[in-house]
Amino acid sequence: MNKIEIRNLVFHYTAGEPILNDISLAFDARSTAIIGQNGAGKTTFVKLLKGLLKPVGGDVVINGINTSDATVAALARHIGLVFQNPNDQIFKNKVLDEVMFGPLNIGQSQDEARERADAALAMVGLAGRINDNPYDLSLSERKLISIASIVAMNTEIIIFDEPTIAQDFSGKEHIKAIIRDLVAQGKLVLTIIHDMDFVAETFERTLVFAQGRVLLDGSTREVFAEEEVLRQAHLEPPHVTQLAHRTGLPGTPLTVEEFVREKRAQGAMRPVTP
Amino acid sequence: MKKIVVEGLKYRYPLTAELALNDVSFEIEKGEFIGIIGRNLAGKSTLCQALMGLVPHFYKGAYGGSVTVDGLNVAQTEICELARKVGLVFQNPFTQVSGSKMTVYEELAFGLENLGVPRAEMMPRIESAMALLGIERFGKRNPFDLSGGQMQRMAIASVIAMAPDIIVLDEPTSQLDPQGSEEVFQAIQALSRQGMTVIMVEHKMEKIARYSDRVMLLDHGRLVDFDTPERVFSRDDLAQYGIAAPIFARICQGLGIRTPQTGLYPMTLDDAYDQVVNWHE
Amino acid sequence: MKALSLYQDNGTLIHRVDPISKLLYIAAAIFIPVVLTGFTAGLAMLGLSLMLLVLARVLRKVVPLIGFSMLVLISVVIIQGLFYAGNRQVMFALGGVHFYREGLLFSAAICVRVLNILCAFALLVLTTRPSDLIESLVRQGLSPHFGYVLSSVLQIIPQMTGTMETITDAQRSRGMETEGSLMVRLRAFLPLIGPVVMNSLVSTRERSLALEVRAFSSRAQKTFLNEERVSTSNRVIKIVLLAAMAAAVAWRVVS
Ligand SMILES: Nc1ncnc2c1ncn2[C@@H]1O[C@H](COP(=O)(O)OP(=O)(O)OP(=O)(O)O)[C@@H](O)[C@H]1O
Ligand SMILES: Nc1ncnc2c1ncn2[C@@H]1O[C@H](COP(=O)(O)OP(=O)(O)OP(=O)(O)O)[C@@H](O)[C@H]1O
Ligand SMILES: [Mg+2]
Ligand SMILES: [Mg+2]
Repeated sequence: MNKIEIRNLVFHYTAGEPILNDISLAFDARSTAIIGQNGAGKTTFVKLLKGLLKPVGGDVVINGINTSDATVAALARHIGLVFQNPNDQIFKNKVLDEVMFGPLNIGQSQDEARERADAALAMVGLAGRINDNPYDLSLSERKLISIASIVAMNTEIIIFDEPTIAQDFSGKEHIKAIIRDLVAQGKLVLTIIHDMDFVAETFERTLVFAQGRVLLDGSTREVFAEEEVLRQAHLEPPHVTQLAHRTGLPGTPLTVEEFVREKRAQGAMRPVTP
Repeated sequence: MKKIVVEGLKYRYPLTAELALNDVSFEIEKGEFIGIIGRNLAGKSTLCQALMGLVPHFYKGAYGGSVTVDGLNVAQTEICELARKVGLVFQNPFTQVSGSKMTVYEELAFGLENLGVPRAEMMPRIESAMALLGIERFGKRNPFDLSGGQMQRMAIASVIAMAPDIIVLDEPTSQLDPQGSEEVFQAIQALSRQGMTVIMVEHKMEKIARYSDRVMLLDHGRLVDFDTPERVFSRDDLAQYGIAAPIFARICQGLGIRTPQTGLYPMTLDDAYDQVVNWHE
Repeated sequence: MKALSLYQDNGTLIHRVDPISKLLYIAAAIFIPVVLTGFTAGLAMLGLSLMLLVLARVLRKVVPLIGFSMLVLISVVIIQGLFYAGNRQVMFALGGVHFYREGLLFSAAICVRVLNILCAFALLVLTTRPSDLIESLVRQGLSPHFGYVLSSVLQIIPQMTGTMETITDAQRSRGMETEGSLMVRLRAFLPLIGPVVMNSLVSTRERSLALEVRAFSSRAQKTFLNEERVSTSNRVIKIVLLAAMAAAVAWRVVS
């Protein structure tokens, strides 16, 4: 059974202004990136998965439960969502309370919740801040707190909405490691993100949203090979891929290492011109 | 002409133990495009706020040294006076909304009304700022009913409409789609060519390398370096400051390619292309 | 946090009347019945307000307000009907309890007055964008800072509802049951209070930062995006309202 099934999903905020048009999708175990233009409907889409919004038409089924038949709280045992804006998510006065809130609500024991909260905070590099007031932290730290709060819930499905906002190099590396770790545990990870380099290095599957539809759906390498289609969707391939494309390097390399390897291989094959 | 002069700036937020800015000194010319980079908590946002007078006027705290903006000593000038010269786009666009206007169009007008810009002049300024950021369609929308990226576009537009002499942008493209952030960089570059002084905090090193005239590297509240992108990004101790060089430089480094004239790594797509395409092992 | 408001954008004739005229209308609606004491003036005024609310197509929004105040008013009627000091003439008896004519009349007058004020205010609040109201007051010389405070007060309920929605979403997203029976919702209400207050405090501070950088405290003469509405009809409305108030005073003095 797929953990998430979406059938003919239709949604709008105001009648006559469609946001999502007839989307049908299934998510398997592959880590998946959702990319697309501002306003394409990505956040709306994941709020529908989470049950915070209900479909205007069609069905969203999470672990066999139709979101229209369940409360958000009941769905929360199965699916966690890190909000795009941490200010919309954080409401406790102590970091530890914030991170333990979800785990305790979905039935983890005090000890287990504490253990998972500590582990999640360590993963985002904020283990030393458990007693701080989240309101005193900077945007980048608040984003990491909101990630830890969801990771600690240990749900089967985890969705990140723009996890790398305000993150520096090491923050992004932390988040990459978290995603890889979750995937290794067999969880389904979906991530909305505008950082194409991050997508290239992290996700197996990529979906391109445009005007309420799925424009492309395939392995990340396949999707990033479609430069023309990406441009139509206000996107661009990762920097590595751009350079490869310009220099005529075949095979859509996605990382610096891949590029260097391909280029060396190509150089070795080509006869040296004097 | 020196637009901004900072001398020995030290600053500590109230109730904290460490200096957020520690002995920072630099000068910026009119029309320069300055990139600020540095790891999280390095002090980038604090420096931005010090240029606008929010540090120290709004936050209070311990302040030393001096910041001079267009001849005005910031510590002795009111924020509203500085707001005529300096525009600041916040790191989180959500906190930039005035909350007293009910449409995007009026939200953009807010700053202009406060500055006393005549009505006839207001409308073309608002409309061109909206067009520049691609949000013309949302003029009548409630500011809070926008997507994250649309709200960020509105935040930038609301400051550009005020036509400041100096614009300070704190990670203005963190929620924009790739083409949107490219467009914003181009628009800001165009403004800087028209004489606007630009100071931009950004984690997207490829963009900083391509668009800034000079790059400021901050770490632990200290100014580590302030030089051309090529020189800053060719430092061999970048990792120590939590920075990774632009991808193009990393590729060239991997291949052992340097620009022959300078001996530095190529930083931008164009420069990297020139070198890589002719490269043979 | 959403910039919600009670305002209903129906674009009727009433919506186009300027806020100052509506303020003046509130003044008249309160003043005239007070001056003319009697019952009929108040009733007439109330009738007029209700008619205007119908015209503005916002009556549906007023009903819950009236319903809520009815709860209070009915208790007033009962207490005065039973215990009003001037009670002489028994009007009717209910299960052996006597209701007096004087007390009932007195409380009816109170009811009419309260409903009257309520409807007049509703007319302003439901048909005027808060920002327009503030703007026209600032134009009349009110300090913008005071205007901002006033607008925050006007928006406090919608703003709180917005914050509560945001926090509720954050809580139910992490497994706290907030939907379903009254009991569940009541239980979910308590843990909301702290965060809502905290959130409001923090966002007030953030908001003042946002205002500062947009030159809100600037001493320059403010300008306005929206043109001032100085139509003749608006002037006529004001004159009629002032004349009506003057006439009421004259009537009182003469009779
Ligand atoms: N509360 C709302 N009421 C009305 N329209 C809304 C609301 N929230 C979002 N929208 C609109 O719905 C569309 C989709 O918004 P959504 O937030 O899903 O976009 P997104 O793909 O997440 O964009 P971004 O990359 O900018 O975050 C946008 O055009 C937006 O303006
Ligand atoms: N309002 C505040 N009160 C107290 N300390 C603060 C405040 N804002 C920032 N700081 C502290 O000042 C230092 C510099 O923070 P600043 O926000 O300037 O960093 P930054 O480089 O902008 O980081 P980021 O990349 O996360 O945005 C940090 O140690 C931070 O904790
Ligand atoms: Mg979004
Ligand atoms: Mg910052």
